[in-house]
Amino acid sequence: MNKTLLGYVPKESPIYFIHPFVKLYFLLVVSLFPMFITQPEVNLFIMAVILLLMIWSRVDLRILRIYVPVAIAMGWIILLSYTVLGGTHPEFELLAKVLGIKIYWERLRDGVVVYCRILPMIATMVFFLTTSRERDVIVAMRSVRIPFVVTYVFAMALRSSGMVLEDFQIVRQAEQARGFDTTGKSLGYKIRKYVMYMIPLFALSLRRTEEFTNALVARGYAFTGEAAKVKRADYILTHYSFKLHDGILVALISILFIIILTLRYGYNAFSLDSSLLINWLYQILR
Amino acid sequence: MVHLIEIENYSWQYLNTPQEALKNINLKIEQGSFVGIIGPNGAGKTTLAYSMDGLIPGQYRGLKHGVVKIRGIEVEEYPRGRLQQMVGMVFSDPEAQFTAMTVEDELVFGMENLGMSLPEIRERLEWVTELTELKHLLLKPPYEISGGQKQRVALAAVLAMTPEVLILDEPTSMLDPVSRKRVFEVLQKLKQSQNTVIVIEHSLENLIPLADRMILLADGEIALDAETGEFFQRLDLLLEKGISPPGAMRFFYELTQKNLYHGRLPLTVDEAAALLRGAA
Repeated sequence: MNKTLLGYVPKESPIYFIHPFVKLYFLLVVSLFPMFITQPEVNLFIMAVILLLMIWSRVDLRILRIYVPVAIAMGWIILLSYTVLGGTHPEFELLAKVLGIKIYWERLRDGVVVYCRILPMIATMVFFLTTSRERDVIVAMRSVRIPFVVTYVFAMALRSSGMVLEDFQIVRQAEQARGFDTTGKSLGYKIRKYVMYMIPLFALSLRRTEEFTNALVARGYAFTGEAAKVKRADYILTHYSFKLHDGILVALISILFIIILTLRYGYNAFSLDSSLLINWLYQILR
Repeated sequence: MVHLIEIENYSWQYLNTPQEALKNINLKIEQGSFVGIIGPNGAGKTTLAYSMDGLIPGQYRGLKHGVVKIRGIEVEEYPRGRLQQMVGMVFSDPEAQFTAMTVEDELVFGMENLGMSLPEIRERLEWVTELTELKHLLLKPPYEISGGQKQRVALAAVLAMTPEVLILDEPTSMLDPVSRKRVFEVLQKLKQSQNTVIVIEHSLENLIPLADRMILLADGEIALDAETGEFFQRLDLLLEKGISPPGAMRFFYELTQKNLYHGRLPLTVDEAAALLRGAA
């Protein structure tokens, strides 16, 4: 198994035949699709396609389990925001009145539409994270000529976030060993005492920064590129080549996006009036 | 003999500290020599290493007196990056010195900084992974491998830059005995190929068989500087400065103290065994 940003993918997965740039392009473009599609069933179809892609990539789908409670909680929050906290709208169609709260059809419908837009966006992100490593992100950025300094800072930000979490655990365990433990205490107490973790964590981060700077200097690195007055060879990129199928995939994603935009703005497609799911829901709730 | 490193009347005091970290250091290191530097904590060993790599005064503020020259040129006079091409530095905490996301990226990072060509990078990568036995780890994140492997990655990353002198600051302080041994096996190979190596180390059992010369630092000063065999005949001084000698050496020293032995102190277990065999 190869570790990715969010799980593991078997060493034999077909996803390795795809250039990292295509994966990044997929994330950036496909996650935009739901913004131009209001029909929930189409967005749910996109989500299903992404799930199929994950199966094709042989991603361990058990990783998705951690998102189920998040998805449910998010659904409830959106639903409550649009209905219970949706306000009074005399112009809307009243479906029911619960404990004095008016539930309107339009607000309920909009909640469902928003939720079904967010789900495929998250699925796209999860697909990217479960099939890409940090290195893929860097390669994708460098292959489109993003300056080395930018990609390097990005990579180090990814790495340092992990290090801060590790350091936080160390600080917490050290303080627990000295009798300071917030386990079982109220949230207010935890927030008040959080500074007890933050001060040593901050000091530790400063030390890490010093060590890291020393390591960079010792490796002859300078952000100005003055270390060597020659062009920097990008060795890592030599492991990846942008093949014909990568080009076809990028073209397909682009064409699909253009089709969606054309249908949306040229033919008023994906509108709610023609949504089967919304019409069915309306029939039930009326 | 060519002096690769020349330090004359050198003192360094960090800003806002009451006393000098290094006092009046005079030191000459020849090309191809293997030098061990030992001393208690706070003796100034790391400061001396940083001074030779240009991290001091480049990255730290303080007061400097005297000169530190590499190949006859003072460290401050080197353009940024040029000195690091000549002097490679391995730090004690391997994880803190990683600058990339995979072992392979880590190994090529320094070479890319020096502007090496792709064929050259490929060739050196091949050489250094073979030397340090890291080939199977190339695609792994460096922070997910074992402590010993981490330190070998750190060492390999610097070696790949083929510096003229390699300085290791307590490279095995965070390692278990087996990993420690493997790091020293790499250093053994470097010694065989006539590299100039300076090792700051507490693990004397591993260091002694390799070192041509030993330096004792104490309270920021050179308390003793001699060829390895001679150096350890001054065990009284080493003990006084808080140095713990290897068991075999300590055993013969105790015999000397009790007037049971009057010869030279053995440096290694093998030498001690030979002495005991001779006595029997």
